[in-house]
Amino acid sequence: MKENIVEIVNKGKLGFSKGIKIPAVVGLSIGFLAAFVQALIISAGGPEAYGFCVACHTRDFTNAIVNAFTGQSLGIAPVAGTAISLTFIGVILGGYLSAKKYKEFKVKKGKPLMYIIYLIGGIAVMNFSLLLGACPYRAALRFAYGDMIALIGIVSIAGGVAVGVVLLKYYMNKGGI
Amino acid sequence: MADGFIIAASATLMVPIITLVLGLIIGYLAQRSGFCSIGGMRDLMMFKHTRLFFGYLTLIGGALIGYTIFWLIIPSAFPNFYWAGTQGFTAIPGAPSGLMVGSYIILAVIGGFGMGLIGVLLGGCPLRQIVMSSEGGRNSLFFVIGLIFGAIVFHAFTMGLVQAIMP
Repeated sequence: MKENIVEIVNKGKLGFSKGIKIPAVVGLSIGFLAAFVQALIISAGGPEAYGFCVACHTRDFTNAIVNAFTGQSLGIAPVAGTAISLTFIGVILGGYLSAKKYKEFKVKKGKPLMYIIYLIGGIAVMNFSLLLGACPYRAALRFAYGDMIALIGIVSIAGGVAVGVVLLKYYMNKGGI
Repeated sequence: MADGFIIAASATLMVPIITLVLGLIIGYLAQRSGFCSIGGMRDLMMFKHTRLFFGYLTLIGGALIGYTIFWLIIPSAFPNFYWAGTQGFTAIPGAPSGLMVGSYIILAVIGGFGMGLIGVLLGGCPLRQIVMSSEGGRNSLFFVIGLIFGAIVFHAFTMGLVQAIMP
């Protein structure tokens, strides 16, 4: 793939639609955009390095709605205290529009047992990421901002992935999955 | 008080618009590229593929470039940049609040490890799961529903527990 990218660049064919298929280009854009968003909305109350977060922004969105309908006061970030954060909806819509445009939308049904596993997995991942105070993306933003505890978080994520990879390889060798 | 380009008075209107547009762009880009942080680490460790992993590295780089540029343009929007220089070895606020530094390190290790392990077993980080659900993946859709319930569970139960047992 590396050679392909070099070829494309050398031939002067790196257009927009090809460029956004390269994760490195996308990563650079997301990081830069998140910094720009902080410059825009920090006055709403922060915290810092909060431009983009899958876990925290989803939490802000969910809890704002729950609070509005049930009168609870579940925690949300100061920035979302007076204004609802719609990142979550944006990502779903953006992914859907792109998948539709490029005809990649396809309903992939699973088994009921898998639905339950994924549901529990989602609950667990949200709890773990809020313990860290960041999804992998906000961890990257926090680290870039100078938060060394976020670096510990990133290394820990890599540790979790390493254990997961060992488990996956073990089951693959046994012929499972 | 931190001041950005948009004043606090107009935040109620502007924050939803800005976050929606940001989400749309990121969702679109992530769908095109298959962007995934945990998937990048997995591909690197399992197959020595660096394609996705470079995406995560450049995200850190892009954020650093962005913070530096916008910090030069509007320093009031980045009051504690560079954090380790102004605040030392502490965590940028996020839930849960009011703990000691050692507790944040423990939480970072537990949170990161759990996220990485479950993420790799279920095939993606939270962003990737959301994008896969918008591509029609039903398993991922249930993962996303789990994320929503997880946020409520965390603030109704987990956070209180953590603040009770951690110094």
